[in-house]
Amino acid sequence: MLAKKLTAEAKTLLDPAASAWDSAPAETIIMGGTPLVQQPSRYIRTAWSDRPIGSVRSLVVRSAHNGKEVFFLLEWRDDTQNTDYAGRDFPDSAGILFPLKGDAPLDTMGSESQPVNAWFWRADSEDGAKSITASGIGTVAESEGSSIAARAQWQDGTWRVVFARPLTVAGNQAVALEAGKSLKVAFAVWEGSSGERAGIKSFSKHWQELTLEG
Amino acid sequence: MAIDKEDLMKSERQVAMVFDLNKCIGCQTCSVACKVLWTREEGMDYQWWCTVNTQPGRGAPKDWEQMGGGYRDGVPVPGIIPTRQECGGGWDFNYDEVFYGGKGRSVFLQPVGEQPTWGPNWDEDQGGGEYPNAFFFYLPRLCNHCTRPVCVEACPRNAMYKRSEDGVVLRDETRCRGYRFCLEACPYKKIYFNYVKKISQHCIFCFPRIEKEVAPACARQCPGRLVFVGYLDDKEGPIHKLVREWEVALPLHPEYGTGPNVFYIPPIGPHRLNEDFSIDETTPRIPIEYLEKLFGPRVSKALDTLKGEMAKTRNGDKSALMDMLIVYHWLELFGPFTRDPAELQWK
Repeated sequence: MLAKKLTAEAKTLLDPAASAWDSAPAETIIMGGTPLVQQPSRYIRTAWSDRPIGSVRSLVVRSAHNGKEVFFLLEWRDDTQNTDYAGRDFPDSAGILFPLKGDAPLDTMGSESQPVNAWFWRADSEDGAKSITASGIGTVAESEGSSIAARAQWQDGTWRVVFARPLTVAGNQAVALEAGKSLKVAFAVWEGSSGERAGIKSFSKHWQELTLEG
Repeated sequence: MAIDKEDLMKSERQVAMVFDLNKCIGCQTCSVACKVLWTREEGMDYQWWCTVNTQPGRGAPKDWEQMGGGYRDGVPVPGIIPTRQECGGGWDFNYDEVFYGGKGRSVFLQPVGEQPTWGPNWDEDQGGGEYPNAFFFYLPRLCNHCTRPVCVEACPRNAMYKRSEDGVVLRDETRCRGYRFCLEACPYKKIYFNYVKKISQHCIFCFPRIEKEVAPACARQCPGRLVFVGYLDDKEGPIHKLVREWEVALPLHPEYGTGPNVFYIPPIGPHRLNEDFSIDETTPRIPIEYLEKLFGPRVSKALDTLKGEMAKTRNGDKSALMDMLIVYHWLELFGPFTRDPAELQWK
Protein backbone atom coordinates (compact mmCIF):
# COMPACT_ATOMS: atom_id res chain seq x y z
CA MET A 1 0.00 0.00 0.00
CA LEU A 2 1.32 3.39 -0.97
CA ALA A 3 0.71 6.73 0.71
CA LYS A 4 0.92 8.90 -2.37
CA LYS A 5 2.84 12.16 -2.13
CA LEU A 6 0.41 14.90 -3.15
CA THR A 7 0.65 18.68 -3.13
CA ALA A 8 -2.92 19.21 -1.90
CA GLU A 9 -3.57 21.10 1.32
CA ALA A 10 -5.01 19.44 4.39
CA LYS A 11 -8.38 21.12 4.06
CA THR A 12 -8.71 19.67 0.55
CA LEU A 13 -7.73 16.14 1.43
CA LEU A 14 -9.89 16.16 4.55
CA ASP A 15 -12.90 16.30 2.24
CA PRO A 16 -13.87 12.66 1.55
CA ALA A 17 -15.30 13.70 -1.83
CA ALA A 18 -12.28 15.73 -3.00
CA SER A 19 -11.12 14.92 -6.52
CA ALA A 20 -7.54 15.10 -5.24
CA TRP A 21 -8.16 11.63 -3.82
CA ASP A 22 -8.53 10.24 -7.37
CA SER A 23 -4.76 10.27 -7.80
CA ALA A 24 -4.17 8.12 -4.71
CA PRO A 25 -4.17 4.38 -5.46
CA ALA A 26 -7.09 2.44 -4.00
CA GLU A 27 -6.49 -0.83 -2.22
CA THR A 28 -9.30 -3.26 -1.41
CA ILE A 29 -8.81 -4.93 1.92
CA ILE A 30 -10.62 -8.17 2.75
CA MET A 31 -12.14 -7.90 6.22
CA GLY A 32 -13.28 -10.63 8.62
CA GLY A 33 -14.93 -10.90 12.02
CA THR A 34 -12.84 -10.99 15.16
CA PRO A 35 -12.56 -14.50 16.65
CA LEU A 36 -15.18 -15.33 19.30
CA VAL A 37 -12.63 -17.01 21.57
CA GLN A 38 -10.71 -13.76 21.90
CA GLN A 39 -13.66 -11.73 23.12
CA PRO A 40 -12.63 -10.56 26.56
CA SER A 41 -15.62 -11.56 28.68
CA ARG A 42 -17.50 -14.79 29.18
CA TYR A 43 -20.77 -12.93 28.77
CA ILE A 44 -19.73 -11.62 25.34
CA ARG A 45 -18.48 -15.03 24.21
CA THR A 46 -21.82 -16.55 25.21
CA ALA A 47 -24.02 -13.80 23.81
CA TRP A 48 -22.23 -13.77 20.45
CA SER A 49 -21.74 -17.52 20.10
CA ASP A 50 -24.53 -17.75 17.53
CA ARG A 51 -24.35 -14.24 16.08
CA PRO A 52 -22.21 -13.40 13.08
CA ILE A 53 -19.34 -11.03 13.90
CA GLY A 54 -17.99 -8.60 11.33
CA SER A 55 -20.70 -7.27 9.02
CA VAL A 56 -18.32 -5.34 6.77
CA ARG A 57 -16.34 -7.72 4.58
CA SER A 58 -14.55 -5.33 2.24
CA LEU A 59 -12.86 -1.99 2.77
CA VAL A 60 -11.34 0.34 0.19
CA VAL A 61 -8.37 2.30 1.51
CA ARG A 62 -6.50 5.21 -0.05
CA SER A 63 -3.57 6.93 1.59
CA ALA A 64 -1.65 10.13 0.86
CA HIS A 65 0.66 12.66 2.44
CA ASN A 66 1.67 16.21 1.56
CA GLY A 67 4.95 16.42 3.41
CA LYS A 68 3.23 17.81 6.49
CA GLU A 69 0.25 15.53 7.16
CA VAL A 70 -0.68 11.93 6.45
CA PHE A 71 -4.20 11.05 5.27
CA PHE A 72 -6.26 7.89 4.94
CA LEU A 73 -9.58 7.63 3.12
CA LEU A 74 -11.60 4.60 4.19
CA GLU A 75 -14.62 3.64 2.15
CA TRP A 76 -17.12 0.85 2.76
CA ARG A 77 -20.67 -0.14 1.90
CA ASP A 78 -23.19 0.38 4.67
CA ASP A 79 -26.93 0.57 4.03
CA THR A 80 -27.63 1.89 7.53
CA GLN A 81 -26.12 5.14 8.69
CA ASN A 82 -25.85 4.84 12.48
CA THR A 83 -24.72 8.05 14.08
CA ASP A 84 -25.89 7.56 17.65
CA TYR A 85 -27.11 5.14 20.33
CA ALA A 86 -30.74 5.03 19.17
CA GLY A 87 -32.61 1.94 20.29
CA ARG A 88 -30.19 -0.93 20.65
CA ASP A 89 -27.85 0.40 17.94
CA PHE A 90 -24.37 1.82 18.21
CA PRO A 91 -22.66 4.48 16.13
CA ASP A 92 -20.75 3.11 13.13
CA SER A 93 -17.03 3.32 13.72
CA ALA A 94 -13.69 2.76 12.03
CA GLY A 95 -10.12 2.47 13.17
CA ILE A 96 -6.58 2.37 11.83
CA LEU A 97 -4.02 0.44 13.81
CA PHE A 98 -0.22 0.75 13.89
CA PRO A 99 2.35 -1.16 15.90
CA LEU A 100 4.27 1.14 18.21
CA LYS A 101 7.06 -1.39 18.46
CA GLY A 102 8.30 -4.22 16.27
CA ASP A 103 6.01 -7.16 15.73
CA ALA A 104 3.05 -6.20 17.89
CA PRO A 105 0.38 -8.90 17.54
CA LEU A 106 -2.67 -7.71 15.60
CA ASP A 107 -5.24 -10.23 16.92
CA THR A 108 -4.83 -9.07 20.50
CA MET A 109 -4.40 -5.33 19.86
CA GLY A 110 -0.75 -5.53 20.88
CA SER A 111 0.77 -6.93 24.02
CA GLU A 112 2.30 -5.56 27.18
CA SER A 113 5.76 -5.41 25.66
CA GLN A 114 4.56 -4.47 22.18
CA PRO A 115 1.83 -1.84 22.37
CA VAL A 116 -0.16 -0.49 19.44
CA ASN A 117 -1.46 2.94 18.48
CA ALA A 118 -4.84 3.39 16.81
CA TRP A 119 -6.81 6.21 15.28
CA PHE A 120 -10.44 5.73 16.12
CA TRP A 121 -13.41 7.47 14.56
CA ARG A 122 -16.99 7.07 15.77
CA ALA A 123 -19.98 8.39 13.83
CA ASP A 124 -21.41 10.28 16.81
CA SER A 125 -18.50 12.70 16.89
CA GLU A 126 -19.00 15.74 14.68
CA ASP A 127 -15.46 15.65 13.42
CA GLY A 128 -12.24 14.42 14.81
CA ALA A 129 -11.00 11.07 15.90
CA LYS A 130 -9.13 9.88 18.91
CA SER A 131 -5.65 8.55 19.18
CA ILE A 132 -5.56 5.56 21.45
CA THR A 133 -3.00 3.08 22.66
CA ALA A 134 -3.48 -0.53 23.65
CA SER A 135 -1.29 -3.30 25.01
CA GLY A 136 -3.69 -6.22 24.73
CA ILE A 137 -7.43 -6.80 24.48
CA GLY A 138 -9.52 -4.58 26.76
CA THR A 139 -6.68 -2.15 27.47
CA VAL A 140 -7.53 0.69 25.09
CA ALA A 141 -6.65 4.06 26.59
CA GLU A 142 -6.89 7.50 25.07
CA SER A 143 -3.50 9.04 24.28
CA GLU A 144 -2.46 12.38 25.65
CA GLY A 145 -2.83 15.28 23.25
CA SER A 146 -4.69 13.40 20.56
CA SER A 147 -4.19 15.15 17.24
CA ILE A 148 -6.16 13.09 14.77
CA ALA A 149 -8.55 14.95 12.50
CA ALA A 150 -11.38 13.18 10.72
CA ARG A 151 -14.18 14.04 8.33
CA ALA A 152 -16.93 11.59 7.48
CA GLN A 153 -19.63 11.45 4.87
CA TRP A 154 -22.36 8.90 4.37
CA GLN A 155 -24.02 8.95 0.99
CA ASP A 156 -26.02 6.41 -1.01
CA GLY A 157 -25.13 3.54 1.28
CA THR A 158 -21.42 4.27 1.52
CA TRP A 159 -19.30 5.65 4.32
CA ARG A 160 -16.27 7.70 3.34
CA VAL A 161 -14.09 8.67 6.27
CA VAL A 162 -10.86 10.64 6.09
CA PHE A 163 -8.34 10.45 8.92
CA ALA A 164 -5.43 12.92 9.11
CA ARG A 165 -2.46 13.44 11.38
CA PRO A 166 0.68 15.59 11.18
CA LEU A 167 3.69 13.55 10.19
CA THR A 168 5.49 14.66 13.32
CA VAL A 169 3.79 14.65 16.69
CA ALA A 170 5.12 14.87 20.20
CA GLY A 171 5.25 12.03 22.69
CA ASN A 172 5.88 8.32 22.49
CA GLN A 173 2.23 7.24 22.33
CA ALA A 174 1.86 8.04 18.63
CA VAL A 175 3.20 6.04 15.73
CA ALA A 176 6.22 7.53 13.95
CA LEU A 177 5.45 8.52 10.35
CA GLU A 178 8.17 9.58 7.96
CA ALA A 179 8.22 10.17 4.20
CA GLY A 180 10.20 7.50 2.39
CA LYS A 181 9.71 4.94 5.18
CA SER A 182 7.46 1.88 5.44
CA LEU A 183 5.38 0.69 8.34
CA LYS A 184 2.66 -1.77 9.20
CA VAL A 185 -0.99 -0.84 9.31
CA ALA A 186 -4.31 -2.61 9.92
CA PHE A 187 -7.97 -1.58 9.76
CA ALA A 188 -11.20 -2.20 11.63
CA VAL A 189 -14.85 -1.31 11.00
CA TRP A 190 -17.82 -1.56 13.37
CA GLU A 191 -21.38 -1.87 12.03
CA GLY A 192 -23.57 -0.14 14.59
CA SER A 193 -26.89 -1.60 13.47
CA SER A 194 -25.52 -5.11 14.16
CA GLY A 195 -24.59 -4.16 17.71
CA GLU A 196 -20.91 -4.08 16.83
CA ARG A 197 -18.74 -2.26 19.34
CA ALA A 198 -15.62 -2.99 21.39
CA GLY A 199 -14.04 -6.25 20.19
CA ILE A 200 -17.09 -7.12 18.10
CA LYS A 201 -15.98 -5.79 14.72
CA SER A 202 -14.50 -6.68 11.35
CA PHE A 203 -10.80 -6.23 10.85
CA SER A 204 -8.11 -6.74 8.24
CA LYS A 205 -6.78 -10.03 9.47
CA HIS A 206 -3.16 -9.25 8.62
CA TRP A 207 -0.88 -6.27 8.89
CA GLN A 208 -0.56 -4.40 5.59
CA GLU A 209 2.71 -2.87 4.48
CA LEU A 210 2.37 0.89 3.95
CA THR A 211 5.06 3.01 2.30
CA LEU A 212 4.99 6.78 2.52
CA GLU A 213 6.18 7.97 -0.87
CA GLY A 214 9.48 9.87 -0.54
CA MET B 1 -1.58 -8.48 33.62
CA ALA B 2 -4.79 -10.41 33.13
CA ILE B 3 -7.48 -9.33 35.58
CA ASP B 4 -9.47 -12.17 37.07
CA LYS B 5 -13.21 -11.51 37.09
CA GLU B 6 -13.44 -13.54 40.30
CA ASP B 7 -11.23 -10.95 42.00
CA LEU B 8 -13.49 -8.13 40.78
CA MET B 9 -16.53 -9.89 42.26
CA LYS B 10 -15.08 -10.69 45.68
CA SER B 11 -16.02 -8.80 48.81
CA GLU B 12 -15.27 -9.22 52.49
CA ARG B 13 -18.72 -8.08 53.59
CA GLN B 14 -22.02 -7.31 51.94
CA VAL B 15 -24.38 -4.45 52.56
CA ALA B 16 -28.00 -5.27 51.83
CA MET B 17 -31.52 -3.92 52.04
CA VAL B 18 -34.88 -5.36 52.95
CA PHE B 19 -38.09 -3.76 51.68
CA ASP B 20 -41.25 -4.72 53.58
CA LEU B 21 -43.81 -4.76 50.78
CA ASN B 22 -46.67 -4.94 53.26
CA LYS B 23 -45.93 -1.35 54.22
CA CYS B 24 -45.09 0.22 50.86
CA ILE B 25 -47.71 2.74 49.77
CA GLY B 26 -46.14 3.52 46.40
CA CYS B 27 -45.48 7.16 47.28
CA GLN B 28 -42.23 7.28 45.28
CA THR B 29 -40.42 9.21 48.00
CA CYS B 30 -37.53 6.75 47.63
CA SER B 31 -37.47 7.30 43.87
CA VAL B 32 -37.45 11.06 44.28
CA ALA B 33 -34.91 11.04 47.14
CA CYS B 34 -32.54 9.18 44.82
CA LYS B 35 -33.37 11.34 41.83
CA VAL B 36 -32.67 14.56 43.68
CA LEU B 37 -29.42 13.29 45.10
CA TRP B 38 -27.83 11.43 42.21
CA THR B 39 -29.41 11.78 38.78
CA ARG B 40 -29.74 15.48 38.11
CA GLU B 41 -26.73 15.85 35.87
CA GLU B 42 -26.62 16.03 32.11
CA GLY B 43 -27.72 12.85 30.38
CA MET B 44 -29.32 11.51 33.56
CA ASP B 45 -32.73 13.11 33.09
CA TYR B 46 -34.45 9.82 32.32
CA GLN B 47 -32.46 7.79 34.83
CA TRP B 48 -34.34 6.56 37.89
CA TRP B 49 -31.96 4.38 39.84
CA CYS B 50 -34.81 3.63 42.24
CA THR B 51 -38.29 3.01 40.84
CA VAL B 52 -41.53 1.80 42.39
CA ASN B 53 -43.88 -0.16 40.16
CA THR B 54 -47.32 -1.63 40.63
CA GLN B 55 -47.41 -5.41 40.51
CA PRO B 56 -48.61 -7.24 38.53
CA GLY B 57 -47.41 -4.98 35.77
CA ARG B 58 -45.01 -4.63 32.89
CA GLY B 59 -42.69 -2.55 35.02
CA ALA B 60 -39.82 -0.27 34.15
CA PRO B 61 -38.21 -0.52 31.71
CA LYS B 62 -41.22 -1.87 29.88
CA ASP B 63 -41.33 -5.70 30.05
CA TRP B 64 -37.91 -5.86 31.71
CA GLU B 65 -38.56 -9.42 32.87
CA GLN B 66 -38.56 -10.56 29.23
CA MET B 67 -35.21 -8.96 28.38
CA GLY B 68 -32.87 -11.78 29.38
CA GLY B 69 -29.57 -11.53 31.20
CA GLY B 70 -28.39 -13.16 34.42
CA TYR B 71 -27.09 -16.71 34.68
CA ARG B 72 -28.59 -20.10 33.98
CA ASP B 73 -26.66 -23.04 35.47
CA GLY B 74 -23.76 -20.68 36.02
CA VAL B 75 -23.59 -19.63 32.37
CA PRO B 76 -24.37 -16.01 31.41
CA VAL B 77 -27.67 -15.62 29.57
CA PRO B 78 -27.73 -13.26 26.57
CA GLY B 79 -29.92 -10.23 27.16
CA ILE B 80 -31.05 -7.14 25.32
CA ILE B 81 -30.41 -3.47 25.97
CA PRO B 82 -33.45 -1.56 27.25
CA THR B 83 -34.04 1.38 24.94
CA ARG B 84 -34.57 5.01 25.90
CA GLN B 85 -38.26 4.64 24.92
CA GLU B 86 -38.72 1.48 26.98
CA CYS B 87 -37.43 3.36 30.00
CA GLY B 88 -39.36 6.54 29.27
CA GLY B 89 -39.12 9.52 31.58
CA GLY B 90 -36.97 12.61 31.23
CA TRP B 91 -39.57 14.27 29.06
CA ASP B 92 -39.64 17.98 28.30
CA PHE B 93 -42.92 19.68 29.16
CA ASN B 94 -44.48 22.87 27.79
CA TYR B 95 -43.90 24.78 31.02
CA ASP B 96 -43.23 28.09 29.28
CA GLU B 97 -46.41 27.88 27.27
CA VAL B 98 -48.56 26.99 30.26
CA PHE B 99 -47.05 29.22 32.91
CA TYR B 100 -45.69 32.22 31.01
CA GLY B 101 -47.31 32.19 27.58
CA GLY B 102 -50.58 33.81 28.55
CA LYS B 103 -52.42 30.64 27.50
CA GLY B 104 -52.80 29.09 30.93
CA ARG B 105 -56.54 28.61 30.43
CA SER B 106 -56.41 27.14 26.94
CA VAL B 107 -53.44 24.77 27.00
CA PHE B 108 -52.62 21.98 29.39
CA LEU B 109 -49.34 20.66 30.67
CA GLN B 110 -48.04 17.95 28.35
CA PRO B 111 -44.80 16.53 27.04
CA VAL B 112 -43.39 18.23 23.96
CA GLY B 113 -41.70 16.46 21.06
CA GLU B 114 -41.98 12.72 20.61
CA GLN B 115 -44.94 11.53 22.66
CA PRO B 116 -44.08 9.05 25.38
CA THR B 117 -45.30 5.48 25.10
CA TRP B 118 -43.93 4.27 28.41
CA GLY B 119 -42.45 5.65 31.61
CA PRO B 120 -40.98 4.73 34.96
CA ASN B 121 -44.43 4.23 36.54
CA TRP B 122 -46.61 3.95 33.46
CA ASP B 123 -48.98 1.19 34.61
CA GLU B 124 -49.46 2.53 38.13
CA ASP B 125 -52.30 0.96 40.12
CA GLN B 126 -53.56 -1.20 37.26
CA GLY B 127 -52.58 -4.41 38.98
CA GLY B 128 -54.30 -7.73 38.34
CA GLY B 129 -57.39 -9.79 39.14
CA GLU B 130 -61.05 -9.00 38.57
CA TYR B 131 -63.53 -7.11 40.73
CA PRO B 132 -64.20 -7.76 43.56
CA ASN B 133 -60.91 -9.63 43.78
CA ALA B 134 -58.66 -7.14 42.03
CA PHE B 135 -55.27 -6.88 43.70
CA PHE B 136 -52.01 -5.03 43.47
CA PHE B 137 -48.97 -4.14 45.50
CA TYR B 138 -45.94 -1.93 45.07
CA LEU B 139 -42.43 -3.10 44.28
CA PRO B 140 -39.53 -0.69 44.78
CA ARG B 141 -36.49 -1.68 42.74
CA LEU B 142 -32.89 -0.57 42.55
CA CYS B 143 -29.56 -2.16 41.68
CA ASN B 144 -29.32 -5.41 43.64
CA HIS B 145 -25.55 -5.15 44.21
CA CYS B 146 -25.48 -8.84 43.42
CA THR B 147 -23.14 -11.39 44.93
CA ARG B 148 -22.41 -12.68 41.40
CA PRO B 149 -22.84 -9.48 39.41
CA VAL B 150 -23.19 -10.47 35.77
CA CYS B 151 -22.60 -6.83 34.79
CA VAL B 152 -19.08 -7.18 36.18
CA GLU B 153 -18.76 -10.47 34.29
CA ALA B 154 -19.86 -8.83 31.05
CA CYS B 155 -17.67 -5.74 30.93
CA PRO B 156 -14.87 -6.12 28.38
CA ARG B 157 -12.99 -3.25 30.03
CA ASN B 158 -13.10 -4.50 33.62
CA ALA B 159 -14.60 -1.13 34.47
CA MET B 160 -17.00 -2.65 37.02
CA TYR B 161 -16.23 -4.30 40.32
CA LYS B 162 -17.55 -5.08 43.78
CA ARG B 163 -16.03 -2.99 46.54
CA SER B 164 -14.21 -5.39 48.82
CA GLU B 165 -15.23 -3.66 52.06
CA ASP B 166 -19.01 -3.71 51.50
CA GLY B 167 -19.86 -5.46 48.25
CA VAL B 168 -21.28 -2.35 46.58
CA VAL B 169 -21.11 -2.79 42.80
CA LEU B 170 -19.37 0.22 41.30
CA ARG B 171 -18.13 1.39 37.95
CA ASP B 172 -14.96 3.28 37.13
CA GLU B 173 -16.47 5.89 34.82
CA THR B 174 -13.05 6.70 33.41
CA ARG B 175 -12.75 3.12 32.18
CA CYS B 176 -16.36 2.75 30.96
CA ARG B 177 -16.65 3.30 27.22
CA GLY B 178 -20.41 2.94 26.97
CA TYR B 179 -20.45 -0.46 25.28
CA ARG B 180 -23.64 -1.34 27.18
CA PHE B 181 -22.76 -5.03 27.66
CA CYS B 182 -23.66 -4.49 31.32
CA LEU B 183 -27.13 -3.28 30.31
CA GLU B 184 -27.57 -6.46 28.28
CA ALA B 185 -26.31 -8.75 31.00
CA CYS B 186 -28.16 -7.25 33.98
CA PRO B 187 -31.36 -9.31 34.35
CA TYR B 188 -32.98 -6.61 36.51
CA LYS B 189 -32.38 -3.92 33.86
CA LYS B 190 -31.25 -1.40 36.44
CA ILE B 191 -28.35 0.10 34.49
CA TYR B 192 -28.88 3.23 32.40
CA PHE B 193 -26.98 4.65 29.46
CA ASN B 194 -26.03 8.30 29.73
CA TYR B 195 -26.70 9.66 26.24
CA VAL B 196 -24.60 12.77 26.90
CA LYS B 197 -21.55 11.31 28.62
CA LYS B 198 -21.84 8.12 26.53
CA ILE B 199 -21.19 5.87 29.48
CA SER B 200 -23.44 3.62 31.55
CA GLN B 201 -24.51 4.43 35.11
CA HIS B 202 -26.36 2.78 38.00
CA CYS B 203 -27.22 2.96 41.71
CA ILE B 204 -24.13 3.26 43.90
CA PHE B 205 -25.87 2.27 47.17
CA CYS B 206 -25.17 5.86 48.27
CA PHE B 207 -21.62 4.75 49.08
CA PRO B 208 -20.43 8.23 50.14
CA ARG B 209 -23.21 8.17 52.77
CA ILE B 210 -22.48 4.56 53.78
CA GLU B 211 -18.86 5.54 54.38
CA LYS B 212 -20.10 8.17 56.87
CA GLU B 213 -22.56 5.78 58.54
CA VAL B 214 -25.53 7.46 56.86
CA ALA B 215 -28.22 5.20 55.38
CA PRO B 216 -28.88 5.40 51.63
CA ALA B 217 -31.30 8.16 50.66
CA CYS B 218 -34.07 5.82 49.46
CA ALA B 219 -34.09 4.08 52.84
CA ARG B 220 -33.74 7.11 55.10
CA GLN B 221 -36.37 9.17 53.29
CA CYS B 222 -39.01 6.41 53.21
CA PRO B 223 -41.99 7.71 55.18
CA GLY B 224 -43.34 4.19 55.61
CA ARG B 225 -40.43 2.91 57.71
CA LEU B 226 -40.09 -0.11 55.50
CA VAL B 227 -36.53 -0.10 54.17
CA PHE B 228 -34.01 -1.92 56.35
CA VAL B 229 -30.30 -1.47 55.71
CA GLY B 230 -27.27 -3.25 57.11
CA TYR B 231 -24.62 -5.87 56.66
CA LEU B 232 -25.80 -9.34 55.76
CA ASP B 233 -23.40 -10.91 58.27
CA ASP B 234 -24.29 -8.61 61.19
CA LYS B 235 -26.14 -11.02 63.44
CA GLU B 236 -27.45 -8.22 65.62
CA GLY B 237 -28.70 -6.23 62.64
CA PRO B 238 -32.13 -6.39 61.01
CA ILE B 239 -30.94 -7.75 57.65
CA HIS B 240 -29.44 -10.93 59.05
CA LYS B 241 -32.46 -11.48 61.25
CA LEU B 242 -34.99 -11.04 58.44
CA VAL B 243 -33.08 -12.81 55.69
CA ARG B 244 -31.21 -15.57 57.50
CA GLU B 245 -33.00 -16.19 60.81
CA TRP B 246 -36.68 -15.61 60.12
CA GLU B 247 -36.28 -16.22 56.38
CA VAL B 248 -39.13 -13.84 55.63
CA ALA B 249 -37.13 -11.57 53.29
CA LEU B 250 -36.55 -13.02 49.85
CA PRO B 251 -34.63 -12.02 46.73
CA LEU B 252 -36.50 -10.94 43.61
CA HIS B 253 -36.27 -13.52 40.83
CA PRO B 254 -33.67 -15.74 42.50
CA GLU B 255 -33.70 -17.87 39.34
CA TYR B 256 -31.76 -15.10 37.58
CA GLY B 257 -28.75 -16.55 39.37
CA THR B 258 -26.92 -13.35 40.30
CA GLY B 259 -27.52 -13.49 44.06
CA PRO B 260 -29.29 -10.16 44.61
CA ASN B 261 -28.72 -8.34 47.90
CA VAL B 262 -31.96 -6.41 47.97
CA PHE B 263 -34.61 -8.54 49.67
CA TYR B 264 -38.38 -8.28 49.96
CA ILE B 265 -40.88 -9.26 52.59
CA PRO B 266 -43.67 -10.57 50.37
CA PRO B 267 -47.11 -8.95 50.50
CA ILE B 268 -49.76 -10.87 52.41
CA GLY B 269 -52.65 -9.04 50.75
CA PRO B 270 -56.30 -9.34 51.67
CA HIS B 271 -58.45 -12.47 51.53
CA ARG B 272 -60.58 -13.27 48.52
CA LEU B 273 -64.22 -12.25 48.53
CA ASN B 274 -66.93 -14.75 47.66
CA GLU B 275 -69.68 -13.94 45.17
CA ASP B 276 -71.90 -12.82 48.03
CA PHE B 277 -69.05 -10.60 49.25
CA SER B 278 -68.43 -12.71 52.30
CA ILE B 279 -64.75 -13.24 53.10
CA ASP B 280 -63.06 -16.45 52.00
CA GLU B 281 -60.44 -16.76 54.70
CA THR B 282 -58.84 -19.79 53.08
CA THR B 283 -57.72 -18.11 49.86
CA PRO B 284 -55.32 -15.19 49.47
CA ARG B 285 -56.30 -12.59 46.91
CA ILE B 286 -52.77 -12.36 45.53
CA PRO B 287 -52.30 -15.77 43.87
CA ILE B 288 -49.43 -17.66 45.47
CA GLU B 289 -48.29 -18.74 42.00
CA TYR B 290 -47.74 -15.11 41.11
CA LEU B 291 -45.68 -14.44 44.23
CA GLU B 292 -43.65 -17.60 43.58
CA LYS B 293 -42.89 -16.32 40.11
CA LEU B 294 -41.42 -13.16 41.64
CA PHE B 295 -39.80 -14.39 44.83
CA GLY B 296 -39.23 -18.09 44.26
CA PRO B 297 -40.46 -21.25 45.96
CA ARG B 298 -39.72 -20.07 49.52
CA VAL B 299 -42.47 -17.47 49.45
CA SER B 300 -45.18 -19.73 50.94
CA LYS B 301 -43.06 -20.51 53.97
CA ALA B 302 -42.25 -16.83 54.44
CA LEU B 303 -45.92 -15.91 54.27
CA ASP B 304 -46.82 -18.68 56.73
CA THR B 305 -44.23 -17.35 59.18
CA LEU B 306 -45.56 -13.80 58.82
CA LYS B 307 -49.17 -14.92 59.29
CA GLY B 308 -48.24 -17.06 62.26
CA GLU B 309 -46.46 -14.19 64.00
CA MET B 310 -49.31 -11.83 63.21
CA ALA B 311 -51.74 -14.28 64.80
CA LYS B 312 -49.60 -14.32 67.94
CA THR B 313 -49.86 -10.57 68.36
CA ARG B 314 -53.59 -10.70 67.69
CA ASN B 315 -53.88 -13.11 70.57
CA GLY B 316 -52.02 -10.68 72.80
CA ASP B 317 -48.69 -12.51 72.69
CA LYS B 318 -45.35 -10.95 71.86
CA SER B 319 -43.68 -11.48 68.51
CA ALA B 320 -40.08 -10.36 68.04
CA LEU B 321 -40.59 -10.47 64.28
CA MET B 322 -43.67 -8.23 64.37
CA ASP B 323 -41.87 -5.82 66.70
CA MET B 324 -39.04 -5.61 64.23
CA LEU B 325 -41.37 -5.07 61.26
CA ILE B 326 -43.44 -2.46 63.08
CA VAL B 327 -40.23 -0.46 63.64
CA TYR B 328 -41.08 1.30 66.89
CA HIS B 329 -37.77 3.13 66.71
CA TRP B 330 -37.03 4.60 63.32
CA LEU B 331 -33.25 4.34 63.51
CA GLU B 332 -33.46 0.59 64.13
CA LEU B 333 -34.08 0.27 60.40
CA PHE B 334 -30.58 1.26 59.50
CA GLY B 335 -28.18 -1.11 61.27
CA PRO B 336 -24.88 0.76 61.66
CA PHE B 337 -25.96 3.54 59.27
CA THR B 338 -27.86 5.75 61.69
CA ARG B 339 -26.10 9.10 61.39
CA ASP B 340 -28.03 12.21 60.39
CA PRO B 341 -26.54 13.54 57.14
CA ALA B 342 -27.36 17.09 58.27
CA GLU B 343 -24.70 16.75 60.98
CA LEU B 344 -21.96 16.07 58.49
CA GLN B 345 -19.66 18.53 56.84
CA TRP B 346 -19.50 17.36 53.22
CA LYS B 347 -16.37 18.49 51.45
